Amino acid sequence: MPTKPMLSSSILLLLVVSLAQPAASSGMKPAATVPLPCESQNQLISPAGDQVAVSCSDHTLRLVDAGSGNTKHTFGPQPRITAYDYSRDGRWFAVGLRDGTVEVASTSGAAEDKRWKSDTHGIHDLKFLPDSSGIVVGPLDRPGQIWDLRGTPKQLAILHSDFAGLIHCSFSPDGKLLVTADGDTVIRFYDAATWKILHEYRGLALETFAVAFTTDGKRVLIGGPDDRITVLDPATGAELEKLPKEADVVWRILPFGNDGQARIFYFDGDGKRPDHESIWNVNTAKSVPLSAERPFTGSGIVGGKLWLSSANGKVLDIWVYE
Amino acid sequence: MNQTRREMLEKCVALGAVTLATSASLSAIARAWDTAEAKRQPTPFCELGPFYKRDAPHVSVLRAPGDPGMPLSVAGIVYSVNGEILPNAKLEIWQTDNFGHYDNAGYRFRTTIQPDPKSNYGFESVLPGHYPARVCQHVHYLVTAPGHKPLTTQLYFASDPVFDGDPDKNFSRDPLITSRELVRPVMLKGDPQQMVAAVTFDIVLEKA
Repeated sequence: MPTKPMLSSSILLLLVVSLAQPAASSGMKPAATVPLPCESQNQLISPAGDQVAVSCSDHTLRLVDAGSGNTKHTFGPQPRITAYDYSRDGRWFAVGLRDGTVEVASTSGAAEDKRWKSDTHGIHDLKFLPDSSGIVVGPLDRPGQIWDLRGTPKQLAILHSDFAGLIHCSFSPDGKLLVTADGDTVIRFYDAATWKILHEYRGLALETFAVAFTTDGKRVLIGGPDDRITVLDPATGAELEKLPKEADVVWRILPFGNDGQARIFYFDGDGKRPDHESIWNVNTAKSVPLSAERPFTGSGIVGGKLWLSSANGKVLDIWVYE
Repeated sequence: MNQTRREMLEKCVALGAVTLATSASLSAIARAWDTAEAKRQPTPFCELGPFYKRDAPHVSVLRAPGDPGMPLSVAGIVYSVNGEILPNAKLEIWQTDNFGHYDNAGYRFRTTIQPDPKSNYGFESVLPGHYPARVCQHVHYLVTAPGHKPLTTQLYFASDPVFDGDPDKNFSRDPLITSRELVRPVMLKGDPQQMVAAVTFDIVLEKA
């Protein structure tokens, strides 16, 4: 059971708080400063908070120990890495490549890597099954694939799409449901035991770029070029409400905490304004901008809390959002 | 002269110009020859996104009077790989305006087109603009037809300054361009007061 080690290592990391620079806005508690092996524009903090996946400027991706800064695993640089994710228990890490290859590695190095070609199209999205027994693979503009990772990777199912394919997906906290945002603009809810479609939401004319269950599993948040969050009921697939419109395109949703909070990432569809972020409270339908003196370049959910990182040269500062 | 493939073969065999080393009938050989010549390569894939929007209106003129930008006229025929025309196809087409802006709130520069009975399609627009996230000017296509695989692709223009006049050499400057074939020649038509960039872009769908 990974929960205990996850929490204890999180606490340990908090205890080794160094002199993290107070760059973030109020509500940020410094957590760690990590030496990096490279300059990096993107990071993903592991679910235990003990490791950071660092996307390096040389196109490699390195799993870096958050305490020592030592690199435990290096992926790439060729073919280019196009998607990556940790398993929920943090024991596994997967990368998807531009040539359609998927590589799964043990984050502790305790097991051999698995590497297979899942498609001819580059991998656009990856999501481990909640129990880490398999993975959802989303090749660009192709239907999503479910792969069994017990033993030699084996394809279990192909998800549905009228055309194009899986853009993004999310599992419910109890692992029983998978929700997908597909290029055909449809949101589909699957039974994660049988991979049968339970509900479809066809209420949007535009694509959805981001989909996520709230942490209590009672709602699904979706967002895209309509510049707003739409809330769906996972029990029926029906729309519950639309949150107020923002100025830019929603491209990622990261729920955290216990009271309806979510970090929302936006980009300008014309590419003329910089990306920005907000913290939304779905319960109150209110948001506050998330900003800092230095832009945040990474994040992760550790013990239910939102951790944020910002790289400055070869140093990574990490904060806990409170 | 308007002879059939079979008549031509009969004559060639009789005169010794063609030797048959097969037991198939002349009719079967003629049909096989016709089929082989009609075969077309499927239009290369190019990614769907971003900003596809379903239910675009059925319009053939996307530009409105006063819209800035070089007028663009695109025409083509929709085929299957066997060379059959596909008048039942549906083309969903979207692009930016001249300034590189997609209309996500409405349906400007978006259309759904049904080809005519001879499978011809066409639309009038403006050359799309550049925008920071993409290297080249492009028009998105989603083409569907009963019994065929859906195709997502993009049309590019040989006149795009990114290619420096040499798309053969420079088409890969946009990493999303999967094939040189998607960069189409541009023919400038009309007098200087009413110049139009005309482009032909045939679509070939694979069987499902």
